[in-house]
Amino acid sequence: MERGYWVRSKPKYNTLSWSDKALAHVLIAQDEGGLAQVKLLQRRCPAEPLLVLLSGDESTKKYADILNGLVPEGLSFFEDEQKMLSELKFQLEKCLMGTQFYVSGNEGFIWKVMTELAKYGVQDCNVEKELCGTLARSVYCVHCKTIDKDIHSNVYQCSSCGRNLFVRDHFSRHLGAYMGVMVDAELPGDIPVSEEIYP
Amino acid sequence: MTTLSVRVAEVEQVTDVIKHFTLVSESGEPLPYFSGGSHIVVSLDIDGRTHRNAYSLMGTTANADSYHISVRKQENSRGGSVYMHDQVKPGSLLEVTYPTNLFAINKMARRHVLVAGGIGITPFMSQISDLNRLGYDYELHYSYRSSEHAAFREQLEEMCGDKVFFHVDSENSQLNLKDLLSQQLLGTHVYVCGPEPMVKTLHLLAGELGWPENHVHSEQFSAPPVGDEFKVKLTESDLEVVVPGDMSLLEAIEGAGVDAPFLCRGGACGRCELDVVECDGQLQHNDHYLSDAEKLAGNKIMPCVSRARCSQLSLKI
Repeated sequence: MERGYWVRSKPKYNTLSWSDKALAHVLIAQDEGGLAQVKLLQRRCPAEPLLVLLSGDESTKKYADILNGLVPEGLSFFEDEQKMLSELKFQLEKCLMGTQFYVSGNEGFIWKVMTELAKYGVQDCNVEKELCGTLARSVYCVHCKTIDKDIHSNVYQCSSCGRNLFVRDHFSRHLGAYMGVMVDAELPGDIPVSEEIYP
Repeated sequence: MTTLSVRVAEVEQVTDVIKHFTLVSESGEPLPYFSGGSHIVVSLDIDGRTHRNAYSLMGTTANADSYHISVRKQENSRGGSVYMHDQVKPGSLLEVTYPTNLFAINKMARRHVLVAGGIGITPFMSQISDLNRLGYDYELHYSYRSSEHAAFREQLEEMCGDKVFFHVDSENSQLNLKDLLSQQLLGTHVYVCGPEPMVKTLHLLAGELGWPENHVHSEQFSAPPVGDEFKVKLTESDLEVVVPGDMSLLEAIEGAGVDAPFLCRGGACGRCELDVVECDGQLQHNDHYLSDAEKLAGNKIMPCVSRARCSQLSLKI
């Protein structure tokens, strides 16, 4: 890639940090994202009302156990991510302006949550986000409109139309996915070696 | 800048200090459509000097037959509002700019809270037309000093039904902004137009209550403050212009025949930004557009409201 080249739509992720002015806080994490919430709550447990929603499996339940010791109330752990998202929707109905959201997990998860938040008028630029666990991407095939999840390489074969796609940095907030474009459209069969660059 | 020629079709005295003007196209052609919250800039030739004042468009956005503006007679008028009140009559011809919108409703919002103070009600008169048409959830809070100042109250009751709340200073029913902002649904956007202290207070309170900045919208058409006379050199046009104390820098540049860019003429939009080449004194920034750091750096100026205390200023235009 040419030096200095960058794509504006590629999301930025930071280390979660508390919003001092918020009237309430909602923490949402998946799997390794739990670690980011542990870091956040080990900094301080805020005085304002707090809701912590975690999802994970046996290996990441440890974060919930640590958080249990840091948070006096309002923590729920879900083994099923869908159930956690349902609980989030239920809680969003009651949220008021002044609520700050903190989301951590892999990219697919972060944007799944963003899609729910957007339905309640919350813009992603106002949400604290931390990318955890993996750089794997969801990729949208611009030819057949299929979204493939957990793509680790720069070139892969679309699961639906079979085209070989190059994974670009262009990101759709609406779809929560990067753009995948046919890599050998001009020279059929000229497919670069696929490298695992999103471990 | 391309302008529209309009004729004043009707003038209505709304309160002691507010007049409502109906403008129609001079040629009879329909006027351009506009969106809620838009404004136009009216050019007025007063004693050989061109004044340009921004006024919000009121009324339904579905109508291209006429534009509606309301003008409050300002006590410390630089001439524009007094001229509109005393000299502009039915039949008068005016030049106005195409509508520009710097105060549109955010369509991603889940709910809209509109806060108006006094004559600041005017942009909401067209925003409400958009909100009603789109069926969006909103409430309007309108503050004014006393019942004699209740401009457009009946019209608002008709347009908004139970979504409008009146707050009257003299009746001790003042609006409590803190209560208003701390009990709003997630995804609400707030819009404020009114006197400067009201706008500033709302911005501060919203920040204190954890509202993201991009959920708070405001508009103020502040008249350019008066100051000392100074000279300005326009490097690209190779002209030297004197800016009298009661004239804005932008007006002086326009007076010299230079086609300078502008949109809001109130220091909000940033369209008129000019590069400062040299200044042997102090720039007096009165805009809400430049950041504090940019103001301090002193290499940009918004000539619509800002000026300088110096003997010589050079601008790149």
